Amino acid sequence: MILYLGRRLLGVAGILLAICAITFTIFYLLPNDPAAAACGKTCSPERLVEVKAAMGLDKPVWEQFFVYLLGIFAGRDYGSGASATHCGFPCLGYSYEYSLPVWDLLVDRLPVSVSLAIGSAVLWLVLGLGAGITSALRKNTVVDKILTVLSVGAASLPVYFTSIMLIWGVVRTAGLLPYPAYHNLTDNPLSWASNLLLPWTALALLYAAQYARQSRTSMIEAMAEPYIRTARAKGMPALTVTVKHGLRSGMTPILTIFGMDLGGLLAGAVITESIFGLPGIGRLFYDGLLRSDQPVILGVTLLAAFFIVVANLLVDVLYAYVDPRVRY
Amino acid sequence: MNRRTQTALAAAIAAALTLGLGACGSKDKSDSGSGDTAAASSTKGPGADTGTAVGGTPVKGGTLTVLTNQDFAHLDPARNWTLPQMDFGTRLIYRTLVTFKAEPGDAGNQIVPDLATDTGRPSDGGKTWSFTLRDGLKYEDGSPIKSSDIKYNVERSFSPDLTGGPDYAAQYLAGGENYKGPLTGEHLASIETPDDRTIVFRLKRPVAEFAYTATLPTFAPVPPAQEKGTQYDMRPFSSGPYKIESYDRGKQLVLVRNTNWDPSSDPIRKAYPDKIVVTQGLKGGQVDDRIIASDGADASAIEMPWMRPESVAKVLPKADVKARMVAERTGCTDSLYLNTSKAPFDDPKVREAVMWAVDREAQVTAFGGPAIADVATSFLPPSLTGGVKADPLKIPAAGDAAKAKDLLKAAGKTDLKVSLTVSLGDKTRGEAIQQSLSKAGIQVTVNTVDPSAFTDTLGDAKAAPELTINGWCPDYPSGATFLPFLFDGRTIKDKGNQGNYSQFRDQATMDEMDRIAALPDVNEANEAWKKLDEALLQKAPAVPLMWQRRALLVGTNVAGAFGAPGYAGMIDMATVGLKDPAKSQG
Repeated sequence: MILYLGRRLLGVAGILLAICAITFTIFYLLPNDPAAAACGKTCSPERLVEVKAAMGLDKPVWEQFFVYLLGIFAGRDYGSGASATHCGFPCLGYSYEYSLPVWDLLVDRLPVSVSLAIGSAVLWLVLGLGAGITSALRKNTVVDKILTVLSVGAASLPVYFTSIMLIWGVVRTAGLLPYPAYHNLTDNPLSWASNLLLPWTALALLYAAQYARQSRTSMIEAMAEPYIRTARAKGMPALTVTVKHGLRSGMTPILTIFGMDLGGLLAGAVITESIFGLPGIGRLFYDGLLRSDQPVILGVTLLAAFFIVVANLLVDVLYAYVDPRVRY
Repeated sequence: MNRRTQTALAAAIAAALTLGLGACGSKDKSDSGSGDTAAASSTKGPGADTGTAVGGTPVKGGTLTVLTNQDFAHLDPARNWTLPQMDFGTRLIYRTLVTFKAEPGDAGNQIVPDLATDTGRPSDGGKTWSFTLRDGLKYEDGSPIKSSDIKYNVERSFSPDLTGGPDYAAQYLAGGENYKGPLTGEHLASIETPDDRTIVFRLKRPVAEFAYTATLPTFAPVPPAQEKGTQYDMRPFSSGPYKIESYDRGKQLVLVRNTNWDPSSDPIRKAYPDKIVVTQGLKGGQVDDRIIASDGADASAIEMPWMRPESVAKVLPKADVKARMVAERTGCTDSLYLNTSKAPFDDPKVREAVMWAVDREAQVTAFGGPAIADVATSFLPPSLTGGVKADPLKIPAAGDAAKAKDLLKAAGKTDLKVSLTVSLGDKTRGEAIQQSLSKAGIQVTVNTVDPSAFTDTLGDAKAAPELTINGWCPDYPSGATFLPFLFDGRTIKDKGNQGNYSQFRDQATMDEMDRIAALPDVNEANEAWKKLDEALLQKAPAVPLMWQRRALLVGTNVAGAFGAPGYAGMIDMATVGLKDPAKSQG
């Protein structure tokens, strides 16, 4: 197991390095010039050269990449003279737009995205698995058919549509909730939850539908296995058969997709955060894209990659516990 | 200077762009908007043209909320050059040597002394400008504001680390060519501070309107002890009525009173609210909806991004909501540029025909109607022509197709086929041009380009389209920040052209521009710019189309709100406040 983990962690580092290199190269090849954007409207060629040098963009791409990589571990100094500032470990660069270390921005925005991801994950797991398992256990009944129609319907609604409809219906028309804004969990848990309720719902509806479809299929397959018949035959209570034998084996594929989905969401839900005005990682990424804020885009990309590969690793490790046949 | 590609739809599509990047359109200045008061009574909101403020006079106290879709690009005074920030920074957090009067209508274009005792004393034929600071000026910590602190900030604007700010100091100050700012310990000899209250600027050439230049945030004080390089953006040290209590970038900025600001030293800023909370990162459309509804804290809120075109239908039919709309002219002129470097628009007769053929009323309609735009009759907006609309050509607003046809016949050019390239959001306006020119017998193909690629497309001199729609805004009310950027042939580059989209190269025009730039008297210069504007209209390198208005909504509890002509129609932060502070929250 330890050997396996070590091998996988090395793989994670390799993947992150590759993603970093690819993103860096793409930016280098793009025609837009961050120095020109920073320099402003009537930038003279001489001034542009100075600004390029001040931003470190005058160096060859490999050197910029090396400096960036080294900076992650050893930190970097930005600016000159009196304005010089140190960006400490882990230095993911300095945002052109915000004049702040990217790491600080990520740490600042992360609670919003984590709140959004975890909250909606709980909601979609409850809704999705509940509907999926109910459908599977009541296969081909009216209940199954209604749930199938509902989940296919929900899965086909894009998140921006559900978000806008929720705001229109719940906030603007009914006035049940205020326009969403992020409140810290530690400051006021109630307003944290009530402000996140709509974004949670919007995301959860989309995911729950997929999970309902997926869990229905795996549950039906699991419940058709011979060992379930055996368990039933030896007189085991129905609940124990379903939960202990059916669910446990039926959930392995769900665990895989859950790992990927949660990993992706932790690094920001761009559309949901933008529509609900939540200052999370997704919104940071979106603003970074609009303003060609390369260090921010690179930082968020790395963070997203990190979450996804780590979530995958965790899922693989968890497999061993969920499915006793799996051994590392 | 600012090249603008703004359009109704572009604003809608590029929701988030309206404040930051889209601040194309943004750091522009000025326009009085008092030229057509006859039309005002029927279509304009109270803040537009009528010289009054929405909500009457505010009462001191309470919390004013500002709703916006984005964060500020820069609040550091050396880097602040886009519009909402310039109004916000110079009216609330830091003072400049000179500033604009905080009054609606024409008066708002006038400059008044701010930190200085007067609007500057020129000598040496306009090559040297001296300012004296008022007595007893203090920063937020009670320490005195010194003339050397203004010198320091002007020097900071040269630093390659502190980018994005106005570059007029670099253009005008003697010896600025190789200067790289004070962060490396070097100082600029052409700014002298003989004592703590006097500052003297020595310029490369006479600059008649330098007093206007001194309204820019570059001319605000920054004490060297507070220098934090790029981090200064996070917490500019206050010399104005408010200081920053907290700033969570992209989320919220909270301003509270600067108790060391002395109202008796500041005749401009009224500083009504006790606290100002800027809520950032909201979705554009929701900002309008919230202010229209005016529930709870939103009743005491104003908006920073433009009201979105789709909100027009929710606002204009409701008298109570319409009464809460401010719509001052932006001071920018949108024009149809004719590429004079190649056929058929190298022929002045053909250009004149287009001038007569274009239906400018249709442009206003396509943009959203007369509540948010006016027909333009000259390149220079009314703010640069003494508050009145100049209309030397007297062409009907709906155009005259018959006359255009005659002109084309006289030129021997019939059956013309040309292409018009517009930014994606300008498609409807492009089609309106297509329609009006077809009546005169000119066939137009409309090509749309994504806003992100639009500037590059126009900037390529060789591949530039025959026709295009674009806008220009002056930096301050002076023809010097307008016509040379649009029609000086020497500014044409192979790539990256900004402004002279007509590629107009006319020796007489350039000679006249040089003559005017050298005039030491600002009034004489302004008169000369007006004459040159008339001459240019005759030569028709472009067709002025319309003057946009900046539509902004305010909540039901907001008072003293009007579009500041000096800040391109942004709500003047110097005078805005609340009707009933007790009703505000937070």
